[in-house]
Amino acid sequence: MERILIKNGILCTMAEDEDYRKGDILIEDGKIKAIADSLDDDGAKIIDASSYYVMPGLVDAHTHIGLFDFNASASVDDANEMTDPVTAGVDARYGVNPKAREFEVCYRNGITTLLITPGSGNVFCGQAFAAKTYGDNIFDMTLKAPCAVKIALGGNPKNTYGDMKRLPMTRMGVAQVLWETFRKAKQYLEDKESGKNPAYDADMEGIIPALKGEIPCKIHCTQYDMLTAIEVATAFGVHFSLEHAWGATDYLDEIVESGCDVCYGPIATYRCPGERRKIDVEAVKLLDDRGVNVAIITDSPILSEESLYHHIGEAVREGLSQKRAMRMVTINPARIIGAEERIGSLEIGKDADIILVKGKLGLDTDAEVQCTIIDGKIVYEKS
Amino acid sequence: MYLIKNGILHAGDGSIPKQMDILTEGGKIKKIGEQLSEEGAEVINVTGCHVFPGFIDPHSVIGAMGIPGRYMDHNEATNPITPEMNIRYSIDPDEVNAQEFYKSGITAVGLTPGNTNVMGGQIAVYKTAPAKMSERTVKDGAALKCSVTEDVKRTYGERKQIPKTRMGIFYLMKEAIRGAKTTGPEERSTAQQVICDVFEEKKMPVFVAANTKGEIDGILHMFAEEKIQMCLTEAFCFSDCIEEMKRSKAGLILGNINNMSQIAKNRMDISRIRELVDNGNLIAFSNTNGGSSEGREVFLWNAIEVYRAGVPAEEIVKMMTANPAKMLGVDDRLGTLEEGKDADISVFTAHPVTSYAARVRHSIINGEVIF
Repeated sequence: MERILIKNGILCTMAEDEDYRKGDILIEDGKIKAIADSLDDDGAKIIDASSYYVMPGLVDAHTHIGLFDFNASASVDDANEMTDPVTAGVDARYGVNPKAREFEVCYRNGITTLLITPGSGNVFCGQAFAAKTYGDNIFDMTLKAPCAVKIALGGNPKNTYGDMKRLPMTRMGVAQVLWETFRKAKQYLEDKESGKNPAYDADMEGIIPALKGEIPCKIHCTQYDMLTAIEVATAFGVHFSLEHAWGATDYLDEIVESGCDVCYGPIATYRCPGERRKIDVEAVKLLDDRGVNVAIITDSPILSEESLYHHIGEAVREGLSQKRAMRMVTINPARIIGAEERIGSLEIGKDADIILVKGKLGLDTDAEVQCTIIDGKIVYEKS
Repeated sequence: MYLIKNGILHAGDGSIPKQMDILTEGGKIKKIGEQLSEEGAEVINVTGCHVFPGFIDPHSVIGAMGIPGRYMDHNEATNPITPEMNIRYSIDPDEVNAQEFYKSGITAVGLTPGNTNVMGGQIAVYKTAPAKMSERTVKDGAALKCSVTEDVKRTYGERKQIPKTRMGIFYLMKEAIRGAKTTGPEERSTAQQVICDVFEEKKMPVFVAANTKGEIDGILHMFAEEKIQMCLTEAFCFSDCIEEMKRSKAGLILGNINNMSQIAKNRMDISRIRELVDNGNLIAFSNTNGGSSEGREVFLWNAIEVYRAGVPAEEIVKMMTANPAKMLGVDDRLGTLEEGKDADISVFTAHPVTSYAARVRHSIINGEVIF
């Protein structure tokens, strides 16, 4: 693989407390080899990045690309195994259409890693994973699998099973399924560890890594459902993130105290009583100010992946600084995925997932990616 | 009376923005000029801000859906031909208010029936801010909403009723028009009278929801001889139908492209909008996709996508103001900052087409300061 030297760009490394500064980056064997004010090219291919911002590839920590397939002539939903409220063991990788056109839209717009997750039709929805956006085999593109257990509260699961006249039909019911399933999983783990040899249960096996703190729970919730999520997750000691989190401005103290992460988005839905009563993107600044790890997400392809720019822009419009906003689509989601040793910032040894941007993302409406590099390979260049 | 001083005025007609003052009296713009002063007027200093005519979304169903409800109020899905339905009766002011449209600079919306019917009913133009209900309706019967999208055949096909196919959709459209025109005024039903008002008397334009190339080409072909003023709504495959659109000079009310990833799904080439602009087709933006609407933000997101595709910012301002006013036939009152027109004014801290940091500093509707 060729070595690449990106010269003279404005480096936005996303390393803690580091300011933007002019510099060079050397890529070798798919990794970031060196970062300095000035580097010798030593035979490497040179990319002139003068007047461009050099950033880590963008990361969207909540998508269903390839699982919801609108490209087919009939809409395909491979995201929701809505045949039982608990399907913790199903693996999203097996549902993805790797030829979905949205993957190309991703890397052309500088989004280099996606967290792809089952939908929200169940209470325990399945195993989420993270993948790079370039490639044609989803297993080869996978960065980390599983990277989370997807859970959903609220209208989606209760409408699925309410229609079938099965538990859960109400929010009370959803909370009971949540408690009972975690209890059962905790018992299953204790039985295994004490040698009792319980019958193999694939859904329980899917929850064990979360109980052991190896991967987080990703909990879809809005408005007051966030309190249920915090209560149950805290009781079982699991790491967790609140997904969507509309209405978070009403629950700031509880969120901060719980120590959880927040994946905020999508925004720009119509407003109505209930789950959509408050779509408060200003929450991302308020949470960030108080030390919460916040990522901005699109829920693509339900909203387009390229709308990530608009999402960042709306957060900036509501008072977030453009520099803090950049972290919410790079290092913050990298941490939520649990892959920060490989992606999310420009640091020596990390994957060479790098984008060159003309203009300021989230401020200039015409900011544009000029070049996208994934694992040290140029996958897109503006002609 | 309000005196809005020192803003950079974008008149909405494509003219070069310049620093001007606006004096409002009651619900109207009284005077526009440099260095105005008026005793008794409350001064609103907007130095450094960009001042626009209130933006207009000519095609929204949110505001007339009647949420929560077992049956949505914008889809009289009991018969595919219902041109006589008037959306005015379905407008819920609370539903409109809850969207806070004016926080994105939108001061008027065209509330419309959805996509389930071939002819769905009549569109009404409505102001977005809290004020007396009677002062908020600008015009009802502003346009006839039609639809040839898959929403029609899904709705009726499921019931094993015509139309189950696109052939059926276009057959019903043609027969409804022919039937109305060949029935004498004394024998016409209410529906047929509305159809004659539109297709014979040209009393109101037609807005047709059409997405795929087959749907767009089909409706442009069928209506080619009708010589009516016509706009396509949603039209996500417009870039595959440029020649047909140029020939017909139909307007384009671009639907919410961000919902369900329309650019990826349809391989859209937004930059081809420039050819329609050069050809004189009117372009506007809508929050709607598949017959349902999303929130106020997506209006500006559409504008930004068209800006990113190479259309100049001031041309885009027309698409948010003067163009939709013309499409709805309310340009005598709305769409530009002109003496005598409604005092619907959106003041932004920066240019919302070029900068995400732009916030609405003031919103004035019917001459009333909303905030």
